[in-house]
Amino acid sequence: MTTSSLPLDDETAGAVVDAMVPLVGIPMAPEWRETVIASVKATAAAARLVLDFPLDDTVEPAPVFQASGPLA
Amino acid sequence: MSAHETASAIAAAVTAGRLSAAASVEAALARIAAADPGVNAFTDVTAERARTRAAEIDAGLAAGKAPGPLAGVPFAVKNLFDVEGIPTRAGSKINREREPAGRDGALVRRLEAAGAVLVGALNMGEYAYDFTGENAHDGPSRNPHDRARMTGGSSGGSGAAVAAGLVPLTLGSDTNGSIRVPSAFCGTFGLKPTFGRLSRAGSYPFVASFDHLGPLARSVADLGLAYDAMQGEDPDDPWQTPRPLEPVSAALAQGTTGLRIAVAGGYFARGGEPDCFAAVKQAAEALGATRSIEIPEAARARAAAFVITAAEAAGLHLDRLRVRPGDYDPAVRDRLIAGTTIPAAWVHRAQRFRSWYRARVLALFDEVDVILAPCTPCRALRIGQATMELDGVTVPARPNIGVFTQPISFIGLPVVAVPVRVGGGLPLAVQVIAAPWREDLALRVAGELEAAGVGAAPVAG
Repeated sequence: MTTSSLPLDDETAGAVVDAMVPLVGIPMAPEWRETVIASVKATAAAARLVLDFPLDDTVEPAPVFQASGPLA
Repeated sequence: MSAHETASAIAAAVTAGRLSAAASVEAALARIAAADPGVNAFTDVTAERARTRAAEIDAGLAAGKAPGPLAGVPFAVKNLFDVEGIPTRAGSKINREREPAGRDGALVRRLEAAGAVLVGALNMGEYAYDFTGENAHDGPSRNPHDRARMTGGSSGGSGAAVAAGLVPLTLGSDTNGSIRVPSAFCGTFGLKPTFGRLSRAGSYPFVASFDHLGPLARSVADLGLAYDAMQGEDPDDPWQTPRPLEPVSAALAQGTTGLRIAVAGGYFARGGEPDCFAAVKQAAEALGATRSIEIPEAARARAAAFVITAAEAAGLHLDRLRVRPGDYDPAVRDRLIAGTTIPAAWVHRAQRFRSWYRARVLALFDEVDVILAPCTPCRALRIGQATMELDGVTVPARPNIGVFTQPISFIGLPVVAVPVRVGGGLPLAVQVIAAPWREDLALRVAGELEAAGVGAAPVAG
């Protein structure tokens, strides 16, 4: 099992935000950028904990789709 | 009826003819008019509707009709529940521009079918992405025990309205702790049922994977009454798990004899103020619980809940974020924007970890029936407080308030938050956690704590 990634630094997190936010089409004001980056870093830190935990490939995701369920 | 009466007492008085539903409702409306400006719990007061409903109940009683187990009990709901005739704002500026709801939410209908009377909708953190009870659009709900302090969130108005004695019963939602945190900060009892137990139809969503609805009240019997009235299958909620009606009220008197009760150790025994653990110890001693049990990988569970929450919430809000991000509460908006950048592979992995974790935690219930854990790592923080100190480390306040609640709701376990006082300070709460579908056991233990005088939810002031 390899470790997932190094901690996300400000520069990399900023690059992620600057690439992804236009991709999803959100008009982000410059003054929001710093707190968005802080939140991206917090999420990455949480994800690292999850990604570093080994799971067998047979472990299924928790949500289960039922074909007979309601449409919406 | 005074502010101190429980829902059970009000229903008994109305059923016996000692109190009219109209008088019960007028008393609640008067309390709201007098005291709500100080706590900012209500965003809508449905006085006319409530008076009409109360008159119907009184007319039914006069005609010999059974009034229902919640006869004449005034209640209010977090403003993410649909209330006919009111836009379901979910704490937001944007949603209050929506068309008024054409029908009450499922749980509102069920409580009213049991004789309860809706008197209004309650303040909440925007779109439920919140542990504080603060709101940029409606102002913060204020803790009735100290109005400079947070109620906790996101069901902040739900906690404040009960703790201030405005109504004896409210409904909230709990995705990562939003019923249990206000219960701890405001000192109320709160029930987060098993994921999939109660219908979510007619409520505004936050995170489909984790959203739960449930009651807050000042007694365990009141939680049971409300919970029993709200059970039952609802074809309008595709996430609900088909279950038979499993009423709990009659079982509450059984006490805890024969139940195996343990205290959560490890992750749940550190990272909080000492009094949070003292509250758990107090509860354990009252119950004679000496065993400790380790919930495995709870920190990772919280982390996985954090990732899934951010991603699903961002997905839900993407269209609005693209056209009017400036209309969001800034404290919510920037986290939602960040959530749109999360790789799908991380979310997939978090949902797979959820399966692993569920299997390990469910195995614990072969050995014990109920697990006790702290509810929050601190008492109510000051409104606007951005950081707090845990174990000598300064950490951001908002995400860390839910550090003990998130690993439990992540896998949908039923929990009763039991308010406990330690050393005369502001309230705290203990989580009483049971296996899926065993709300009865959690409520029985909560009832035992209440009977022992350890758990109590007096009206503030």
